[in-house]
Amino acid sequence: MKFVVIALAVVLVATLRVGRRRRHRRTGARAARSVSSPLSSDVGLIMAREVRERFRGRVFKVTTLFILIVVAAAIVIPVLHNGKAKPQEVGIVGTLSSSLRATVTSSAKSADVTVHFVPESSVKKAKSDLHSGRINVAIVDGRELLVKSPLSSADNSSGVQLVRSVAENLGIAEAFQAAQLSPAQSETLKEAKALPITSVEGGKSKSGGGNASEATSLIGIILIFVMLSQYNTWMLIGVMEEKSSRVIEVLLSAVRPIQLLTGKVLGIGLVALAQASLIVAFALILSKAVGSSLLHGSAPLVVVSTLVWLVLGYAFYCWVYAAAGSMVERQDQVQSLVLPLSLPMIFGYIMALTGASSGSPSALLKVLAYLPPTAPFAMPVLVGFRAVTWWEFLGSAIISVMCTIGIARVAATVYRRAILRTGARVRLREVFNRTER
Amino acid sequence: MVHVLQIEDLCRRFGALTALDHLTFEVPASQVVGFLGPNGAGKTTTMRAIFDLTDLDAGTITWNGSVVGQAERRRFGYMPEERGLYPGMLVGEQLQYLGRLHGMTAIDASSATATWLDRLGIADRAGSKVEALSHGNQQRVQLVAALLHEPELLVLDEPLAGLDPSGIDVIGEVLAEQARSGCCVLFSSHQLDQVEALCESVVIIDNGHLVVAGRVDELASSGPRRLVVRVEGDRSASWAEGVAGVAVSQVTGGEVRLVLQDIVDSDAVLELARGAGRVTKFVFERRRLSELFREAVK
Repeated sequence: MKFVVIALAVVLVATLRVGRRRRHRRTGARAARSVSSPLSSDVGLIMAREVRERFRGRVFKVTTLFILIVVAAAIVIPVLHNGKAKPQEVGIVGTLSSSLRATVTSSAKSADVTVHFVPESSVKKAKSDLHSGRINVAIVDGRELLVKSPLSSADNSSGVQLVRSVAENLGIAEAFQAAQLSPAQSETLKEAKALPITSVEGGKSKSGGGNASEATSLIGIILIFVMLSQYNTWMLIGVMEEKSSRVIEVLLSAVRPIQLLTGKVLGIGLVALAQASLIVAFALILSKAVGSSLLHGSAPLVVVSTLVWLVLGYAFYCWVYAAAGSMVERQDQVQSLVLPLSLPMIFGYIMALTGASSGSPSALLKVLAYLPPTAPFAMPVLVGFRAVTWWEFLGSAIISVMCTIGIARVAATVYRRAILRTGARVRLREVFNRTER
Repeated sequence: MVHVLQIEDLCRRFGALTALDHLTFEVPASQVVGFLGPNGAGKTTTMRAIFDLTDLDAGTITWNGSVVGQAERRRFGYMPEERGLYPGMLVGEQLQYLGRLHGMTAIDASSATATWLDRLGIADRAGSKVEALSHGNQQRVQLVAALLHEPELLVLDEPLAGLDPSGIDVIGEVLAEQARSGCCVLFSSHQLDQVEALCESVVIIDNGHLVVAGRVDELASSGPRRLVVRVEGDRSASWAEGVAGVAVSQVTGGEVRLVLQDIVDSDAVLELARGAGRVTKFVFERRRLSELFREAVK
């Protein structure tokens, strides 16, 4: 958790630094008031207005409700599905002693499924039932297991886990029987546990729950994409509306462009953080309440890293979208900007989704985890796979923050020079050409 | 303290276009100063420059002798040419927000908002969204936004455009009242009769440079004498044509406006008029602002 706290602190400091950089010292009582109370400062006022207007907006309420419903569905439906899952049909060819049946039942429990034994008259009949899907697995005389298709090493479904577990446990039972051990000896061996493994370099050993954390990271990157798209659109449209309604001239007659921009970024960022925190808290509480496997193993760490990268992703992209918003003043002008701006996000999102679904992180995904435009999607996936160390995570966060500071500076310049230019869409060439400003 | 805004040697080019060409003038306190000029003369660019809303190639803008900075601008009030308010925000909340950006406390901003909305006759619209207001009422709200924080300098770009006569009267009263309280008031308009009625002084610019500046009274009484003559039954005023030293300025409704050079004896003009018929009107008049403007920018 330590690196998460450090990353959050770095982002906060970087964002405030940009806000303060160009704020000159003011004289007089008015300035003294501004310094003494952050909320009464210009940036604070602008931020408070953004927060108030966004919270009031119908779009915010509807979107939040929609996301909560989707998250609830993603958590509750798998639990309900597991609860109502059909028992695995286990065909028995020949005889299976009660102790071996108990072993199969115990294996099923460890695979989180239930079993139903089906007597089969012959191996031929069992094979026929396997083909037709009437049974999932057949046990022949307690010595052989028949399944319909070869087992894939990447397949971790509960049915396959059951087959693996039954095969292993029946094999052990057979070995006990062949060794002619007494019941007491057999029990002792059954209770055998692996020796503890201690790393000399410290750190926690890996535990189970890999599937849960991968699923959580999958949901996390979908949420990051949806929320970043929403916040970036707010920023773009918000800046554009101030320009098109001409209120920008009134505002800039009292405050500096950088103050206005910083207030807007912080205001929308605060709303974003509040919305994301609400969704995460809701997901955690609901998962706990219904006993969802989404929070098993390292999944809570994935949730926190998703939150961190949502903040870092917003901090990076919001400046870009604000600068873009200052260059347009009509919806038709926005259309031509949205696609090129969205491409890095869409690319990162697709690569992260593909990586999370594949079962192992690719080399490309590991590279994308260090590039600020794609890191918000790629890094939570690596965390889900436990394929990243804390210092790699922190390194990527620092790269993102440094790039965000650079982007913020350029964006502030573009914003300052473009926001008061009305009429046709402003081109970047015009922004940086002194004679055309 | 007596305030003064000084515009000194402003230059601004947009590519090949010269918007401001070494423009220099000042706006003294306690006066309503009309800022006139044809379209494209540079009025809006000058006003935007006061608020640092456009870059300058050269020149300085000072307030009481100091270069205008952010702290000074917060004490100015501005009404831009293209009206700007958040369309979906409530009138009262929006004004309080803008007041606070100018350094007012929440209580002061709230109190001033109520006072000014009441003064301009739109107190009942404080809870309405701006987009729900008529054009005239939006204009009033925009004026309140400029006045709310008791500015030391008021800069209004075309505040009378689109207003009905009662709206013009209200704004005129407010501007005069602000000037009386020691505020510097600079406003632009193309409604020259209104400007003449409201302003103590005018600044006329053309092609980015100053052409005329001074008190309206002095400018109106300066220059050649102007005579209005009505001769009964004579609508063409042909009797005045060809008289040495006399130029016909305007012939309307049976009256002729003459511009007399210094050498011309007005009694001789009267005799000429009597020769054309019975003279029912023979008066000297001041130079009107519209005439002054046309002469200055032609």
